Amino acid sequence: MNKANLSLSLLCLSLSALLSLPAQAHDPKEHMKDGHKPNCAAMKDMDHSKMDMTDPLVQAMMRKCTQQMHAEHAAAGDIREEQGQRQKQEETEPQPQPEPEHKHKH
Amino acid sequence: MDKLKCLLATVFIALIAGLAFIYSGFYPMGADVPHNPLSYWALETLRERSIARAAAEIRVPADLNQAERLLAGGADYNDMCAGCHLQPGKQQSDFSLGLYPVPPNLTQAETDEEDATAEARIRFWIIKHGIKASGMPAWGPSHDDDRIWNMVAFLQRLPELSPEQYQILTARAESDTEQH
Repeated sequence: MNKANLSLSLLCLSLSALLSLPAQAHDPKEHMKDGHKPNCAAMKDMDHSKMDMTDPLVQAMMRKCTQQMHAEHAAAGDIREEQGQRQKQEETEPQPQPEPEHKHKH
Repeated sequence: MDKLKCLLATVFIALIAGLAFIYSGFYPMGADVPHNPLSYWALETLRERSIARAAAEIRVPADLNQAERLLAGGADYNDMCAGCHLQPGKQQSDFSLGLYPVPPNLTQAETDEEDATAEARIRFWIIKHGIKASGMPAWGPSHDDDRIWNMVAFLQRLPELSPEQYQILTARAESDTEQH
């Protein structure tokens, strides 16, 4: 490898290292694996009469719990749909015929 | 003329004595030994004045108190800050006990009546740039300004949160990505 090629390679390597830096930033998706669900059941125990629905804090909590509820319903719907499809498939598929018994024994 | 010579000699001796002290290695550098009051005052004043000057021109977004910002900032605060700056219902952590200077407990409201805008500017600057030799990192290189403002927005409401409210606001569930 001549000197010019070596310099070019080093330059490319430096540039790619620089470009890869933003990818090392703290990505919220990194925390999904150890993310915890919002405990929205706790909202039931809060004093709703003191909650101001125009307060961004209350709005944020409501939004978070609504998203969570939708996600749970969607997941439950998926499971039901999957079960229904499996049941339908089982009904339409021909049942395997039992093998005829051999009369003579080995 | 004699007075000037005397003054110069005093400054020179003080300089030599200071250098000798630095090189002697006698100053305790462990985080478990507090600074003497003079060093503490000097460093704290240096920090406060420097940050106030650097943050003075920062423009605070008008839409800081919004639900979206609280949700985004809350999750980031929980991931990046709560270990040192605590969360509602928690009085101490390994970091809050071991770091020196002690990281401020951000779940407690500021006692002094500082202007909210000035406080927002200062918090933004500190999160973005960090503070030398304090354990506070600069999040600016890896987080854009908008994301840092979200954390500032969350900090403004943090002292009024109960542990239950904090848990809901900071939870980073899978439903978050499905909505975006």
